[in-house]
Amino acid sequence: MSHADPAARSDSASRHSAHARVALGYEPPADRGEGRIWIPMGGSHRIADLTDTQKGRLLSAVLDLKSELGARLVLLGLEVDRLGTAERAALRARVAFLPAGGGLLSNLNAWENIVLPLGFHYPRRLRSVAGQVDDLLKDLGADPHDLLAKLPERMSAYEKKLAGYVRILLESPELVLVEDLRGGLDAAERAGTAGFFPTYQARCPGGTFVQLEGSPEA
Amino acid sequence: MIGVYREFEGCMRLMGHVLRRLQVLALPPVTEALTRQIYFTGASATAGMVLRGALLGTLIIAYVIDVLEANSALAVKILIWVVLREIGPLIAAVLVIQRSGTAVATELALMQISGEVTSLRRMRIDPRDYLVVPRVVGVALSTAALTFYVQVIAVGGGMLLSALTIDASLGQLTDEFFLLASPVDFAYSMVKSLLFGVAIAVICCYHGLHPPGVSINAVPKAAINAVTQSTLLVMLLNVIFAYLVFGQAFFGLVTAKV
Repeated sequence: MSHADPAARSDSASRHSAHARVALGYEPPADRGEGRIWIPMGGSHRIADLTDTQKGRLLSAVLDLKSELGARLVLLGLEVDRLGTAERAALRARVAFLPAGGGLLSNLNAWENIVLPLGFHYPRRLRSVAGQVDDLLKDLGADPHDLLAKLPERMSAYEKKLAGYVRILLESPELVLVEDLRGGLDAAERAGTAGFFPTYQARCPGGTFVQLEGSPEA
Repeated sequence: MIGVYREFEGCMRLMGHVLRRLQVLALPPVTEALTRQIYFTGASATAGMVLRGALLGTLIIAYVIDVLEANSALAVKILIWVVLREIGPLIAAVLVIQRSGTAVATELALMQISGEVTSLRRMRIDPRDYLVVPRVVGVALSTAALTFYVQVIAVGGGMLLSALTIDASLGQLTDEFFLLASPVDFAYSMVKSLLFGVAIAVICCYHGLHPPGVSINAVPKAAINAVTQSTLLVMLLNVIFAYLVFGQAFFGLVTAKV
């Protein structure tokens, strides 16, 4: 449209500034009658009682940057629908996701899994990454020498999450979505996950950490 | 029919992606995947290849000598025509399909079903860059290398047997071989085997990434589809090559050299 209504433009600008501090905003289509998700930037947050379908829709919207018809998505202060392809790709690089199972590839050991995205997106950073991985694993209470050579089939559920999480931290994302952080873990391991957010905060001050949790009946 | 067209289109798209994205081979994880593929397909299969090649060469030459009562010139000609140009690339391709084609299709189908391919996408890694490009390049290079092994071993074995069974020395047979064989024979078989390798890898990767279902039962089905179609395509390519190179082609400029 070549002519913009001044009132509409000012409304758009005020809406844009209102979104500036929103890390994740998702409004499902109105006819579905579901509540909206509106998470401010920074800190640790939890979205509870998500059904598998709701979680799937949300992840698809955030990770593929494609919202459904009638839905609205705001990510790191930006209205996704208004962005072009290059802007979406740049925005996507600022978001990371940790699946419940860690999202590891079964034919790579922990070290290879951890550095895989870095090797693709920032190959030059690979040279200096070994020390960072060791430090992050130690901060999270794991022994790097024990973990890094293991294949996923030999790892516990906690170790898989840990390897997946360190992989995410190396890219220093501004928004981290973690699926079912405590699921499938014993009491000691659940206590270990308490260190996840502080480690992220230390590495990415101002970053937003969001836990996605399913509903008990889902 | 629509399914066949879709599969053909899918394979061509995958091939186009590989050609467009060859530069990803410079990325450390892809280089590592390429090295693994070459090791698995090219290096660790060598012992079996050598044995089969030697058996094949001696078998062909034994039959030729026995049935045709051949002399040294004919024995060497048969080795060049049959083993060097046709059987070498073909047997290497069949062994690559048996050994690596099934492995590639099964591995990728399992990765697709278990959600690992989705994991790659969520890491902003195009699965075709990481899974397909190194496999296609690795299998193509390995097929060419294996063809060379088969040719050397089969021709060598065949000449050794000939020297023992007909009235000709090994030196005489070797002289005859270098007189009759031309670099074009090697170039022809190398280009052909590279194409065989590309065709095998693209088809196996396509079926691996598109298993016919989401349960574990889809994995063997994907492997069967991959093996059947890649064997058919290799045979078809062999026929096309034989016609183009040794038949009347390019307005008669290229004719069979007999």
